[in-house]
Amino acid sequence: MVDTAVYQQYLQNLKSTVEGLLVTQVANVWSIYGGLNRLYFCLEKIFRHGCKCTSQEGYFYNFIQGLEWLHPEASKSYFAVDCEYRSHVPVPLKNDKSCIWLYRSLESYSLCVKLSWLLSDDAHLQSCYESWAFLCQKQYADATLTCLRAVEKNQATFLSEINPCLFVRNATAQKAHKRSSSFPDNHLKYSIIKPKSGALKNAGAKEKKIIGKLKPWSSLPDLQIDSSIKIPKKVHFESKTTPNTPLHTRKISPSMLKVDYKVLQPKTSSKKSKKPIIINNSDIIEHTAQLSSSHSTHEDSTPGTSYDKNEKKGFFMQSPLSKLEYTFMPLEGEKDYSRYKPKSFIEDRGMSILPMSTGQSYLKPIKGQSLTSYLTSSKLARSNAELDRENAHFSVSEAIISAMEKLKCQYREWGYLDKMVTDSDDSSVGEDPELLQNLKQRIRLRRGQRLIDNRWKQWSGALLSDGKTDTTTTTSPNSTPPDSSSERSSSEEVDDLEIDESTNLKENRGLSMSLASLYSDADIMRKPRGAPDGSSEIVASIQSDILSAEGVALSLISKFNEKHLPKASDLEWLVSEEEVPQALLPLPKSWPVNPDEHEAASTNLRGTRDWAPPRPQIVLTLLPSPLRKDLMEKQNYKCAGCGMIVAAQYASRFRYCNYLGKYFCTGCHKNQVSVIPARILYKWDFSRYPVSTFSFKLLEQMYGDPLFRIFELNKTIRKFSKNIEFIRKYRMGLCYIKEYILTCRFAEMAQERMEHDLPSYFLTKPDEYSIDDLVKIKNGELKTKLKFLVDICLRHTSECKLCLARGYICELCNSDEIIFPWQMRIVTRCETCLTCYHLKCWRNKCPKCDRKIKRKEAGTK
Amino acid sequence: MASNKKVLLKVIILGDSSVGKTSLMNQYVNRKFSNQYKATIGADFLTKEVTIDDRTVTMQIWDTAGQERFQSLGVAFYRGADCCVLVFDVTAPNTFKSLDSWRDEFLIQAAPREPDNFPFVLLGNKVDLEPRAISAKRAQQWCQAKNNMPYFETSAKEGLNVEQAFLAIAKNALAQQNQSVDLYNEFPDQIKLTNTQKSNGGGDSCAC
Repeated sequence: MVDTAVYQQYLQNLKSTVEGLLVTQVANVWSIYGGLNRLYFCLEKIFRHGCKCTSQEGYFYNFIQGLEWLHPEASKSYFAVDCEYRSHVPVPLKNDKSCIWLYRSLESYSLCVKLSWLLSDDAHLQSCYESWAFLCQKQYADATLTCLRAVEKNQATFLSEINPCLFVRNATAQKAHKRSSSFPDNHLKYSIIKPKSGALKNAGAKEKKIIGKLKPWSSLPDLQIDSSIKIPKKVHFESKTTPNTPLHTRKISPSMLKVDYKVLQPKTSSKKSKKPIIINNSDIIEHTAQLSSSHSTHEDSTPGTSYDKNEKKGFFMQSPLSKLEYTFMPLEGEKDYSRYKPKSFIEDRGMSILPMSTGQSYLKPIKGQSLTSYLTSSKLARSNAELDRENAHFSVSEAIISAMEKLKCQYREWGYLDKMVTDSDDSSVGEDPELLQNLKQRIRLRRGQRLIDNRWKQWSGALLSDGKTDTTTTTSPNSTPPDSSSERSSSEEVDDLEIDESTNLKENRGLSMSLASLYSDADIMRKPRGAPDGSSEIVASIQSDILSAEGVALSLISKFNEKHLPKASDLEWLVSEEEVPQALLPLPKSWPVNPDEHEAASTNLRGTRDWAPPRPQIVLTLLPSPLRKDLMEKQNYKCAGCGMIVAAQYASRFRYCNYLGKYFCTGCHKNQVSVIPARILYKWDFSRYPVSTFSFKLLEQMYGDPLFRIFELNKTIRKFSKNIEFIRKYRMGLCYIKEYILTCRFAEMAQERMEHDLPSYFLTKPDEYSIDDLVKIKNGELKTKLKFLVDICLRHTSECKLCLARGYICELCNSDEIIFPWQMRIVTRCETCLTCYHLKCWRNKCPKCDRKIKRKEAGTK
Repeated sequence: MASNKKVLLKVIILGDSSVGKTSLMNQYVNRKFSNQYKATIGADFLTKEVTIDDRTVTMQIWDTAGQERFQSLGVAFYRGADCCVLVFDVTAPNTFKSLDSWRDEFLIQAAPREPDNFPFVLLGNKVDLEPRAISAKRAQQWCQAKNNMPYFETSAKEGLNVEQAFLAIAKNALAQQNQSVDLYNEFPDQIKLTNTQKSNGGGDSCAC
């Protein structure tokens, strides 16, 4: 009983939920209210569909138990469901272990990996699910993984990879249409038979035929490369180890890795196969940031490989400048959070905006805390203020240095040779039999891992090459010049050749290359994941900045057995807390403390006796024009943002923040300009003034939030512009009319408009305005918008039977005219019972209320 | 001639919240009953065709919000009603006590031509439930004092007496409409307009 409609339904639900989550572009999708639960319920349905075995532990518990032997590392930390966690979980699933597992994995962004592990073993899948189960449909399972990945990477573009045929009814793979009819047909006819790897566990990964393919660009040469590309191993290393020009290396897009993979696969079996090579179009346009994400699925399917990609690029660029630059830039294919809308002010009271320095230096390790967990502790992974992050680097380096020192001593005690431990393992290969043994063991493990990866890639490849719409992929003959093949290096390749590589490295490259080899390890990723108390969100953030101090530190210590590593609390710090105590200033009484918030947010507010970091305030007072000398004196010649002291003669270098009314150093004040709320409110002045970086972010964050009751703040505000009064009336009217529209079963169209065209507070708080609103009042945009919407609503209410029936009849004159509360020129409303009367009939006495009072009196008698 | 004319009877159901107004209407129109309670917002209507004395009439039954907080919307639809159905819960004495005020409010807002003769029907709902708080006798006494208003004991849940009650309602409404000179339907101004047009038209044709 295979019911495609059910699959389509489930997938459609999942996809639209994911789209809904990603469309807002917030940094953490779970911060969207109810988002996690919504997604969870979609997935729970999928997991439950066709589940054979239900154990007492939970519905699909047996299925997820497979993780224990499929991928022990991923399973261990999540099977222990602590009581504490249960309180967060929605009530209905509290007693179902499997559901909690699902919920938690989802929350920790690890479900995709886990699910792909679980799906990797066909036998296990078959044993737990009926053949008609959703998860047993490979295409649908893959699509689910894609959705999960989109969530985990916070990239909506991933979703475009899902074959629309899977959720659009009546669509079939064969119907994939061509974009241009002029495209020579014969190119579409090539079918490729995927190499069948014997190592693939999944029998389901059958040979895929690619029949119809699309091609968006006619400008690309329609040539087919029919020569298989032979890549000598050494060339790979050369390309990898000669990173002279970053510009040049940048061109080595990860797409090459992908192409390489496909090319290399047949190479192992038949080196001179003359198969046409099909490359996804997305590969070719890899260097454009937008589409790169669509590609990255190939590599990102497992954490290990994703790191390969990123790290390699990082190390291609070995000139210090480019490397530095790279560190501060978002990784390719990763979202540049700074460009996206931050959390709104109302959501987090501006707490997410940290001043240049919060004074919060690295946290002291808790007693008995392991080094790994210390390094992964959320304090670090959190994107702190830049200065703090820089400080954190020192702490991390210190931790690592002293850990290494400790290790050195330990090894010495145990009689090891000193040199073996000074650097990480690879360079000492061959000298120590035990280490070599270890290494071999690891290589074996990694091969195993890689096989899974391969399979996964084939899956995703197959997914891509199935019927697709025009936008994402296409068959396109390989246009890469053959000589560039030398530059290709796939993650697989590197893994294969690790031993050669390490000898290579030993020969000529120093520390950097050994680092490079470190990075090629898939276990950079896996280590923190498996780390005993590396909490889940950290994994995600670590994932995002592999080149951060923490990332590097973690990868370094991952070379050592956890047992041998000293505890973080045992480290000897060069400068200890005792020497420079950091006392917390008491929190001001007025400071609102959210009980849900962890102490992290509250301790951010730190300072010294004569300086405190700026707070996220809404400043409503007009600031007098600044007198630099006086103000600087008041500030004790300290930057208001970071507390840096400046000599009086250089005080002129400081910049005035027109929002907070204080002087900032050039580090904290980049001369960004912004409108100033107080100036709008009291002077109707929309010009932009220079503000500190902190204020700028704060203002940006509160831009769309209804924070200002403008008529209370400035009673005379309406004299600035006729539009203000107009908007006020329209917003009031809209509040009245929404009662009718939103409860009318005939007003679907108007309802939709009302809910989509306006921020939600427009319907509930007619007197609250955001900066955005004020700007739009000024430029007339809001007027047009509101007028349009109100017109639609009025048209509806004047015609709708139901809305007319819900109108009022003036009891005072008893005329038959139906009146509505929004007819503010002729109608007035009793404030108590909300009944409407003609303005001209109204005598400040509501007859209905009078009757009510009388009845009440009679009743009590 | 009169039988060819399409007749629309407008019936308003009033009463305290959760006495079963919506349930009665649903039972009568859709023959369905749900135990779930969902407060009605503002007002809504259902229509049903019934045959009375060989005449097919359309009953437009207006279900209203009993809850005070949903009375923020107007009651313009009272105007032009042909019959008003008052509902109370036989197990809840308060719902019986407030019948007077519902009736008063209706008469004021609907402003019928002859308030004293306007047809009301009283329904004591939930007779399937125990214990009873309002006896049939007490209800009937109240009805007698109000111009001999018909009284029915119903159960929307069991469908008991619902059909009969609404038939009586329809008959009363029809009688009211036949009496009434003023034939306006749901939208006073619009209907007025058509009426005058019609009468004008009629006058013209007569003149010709």
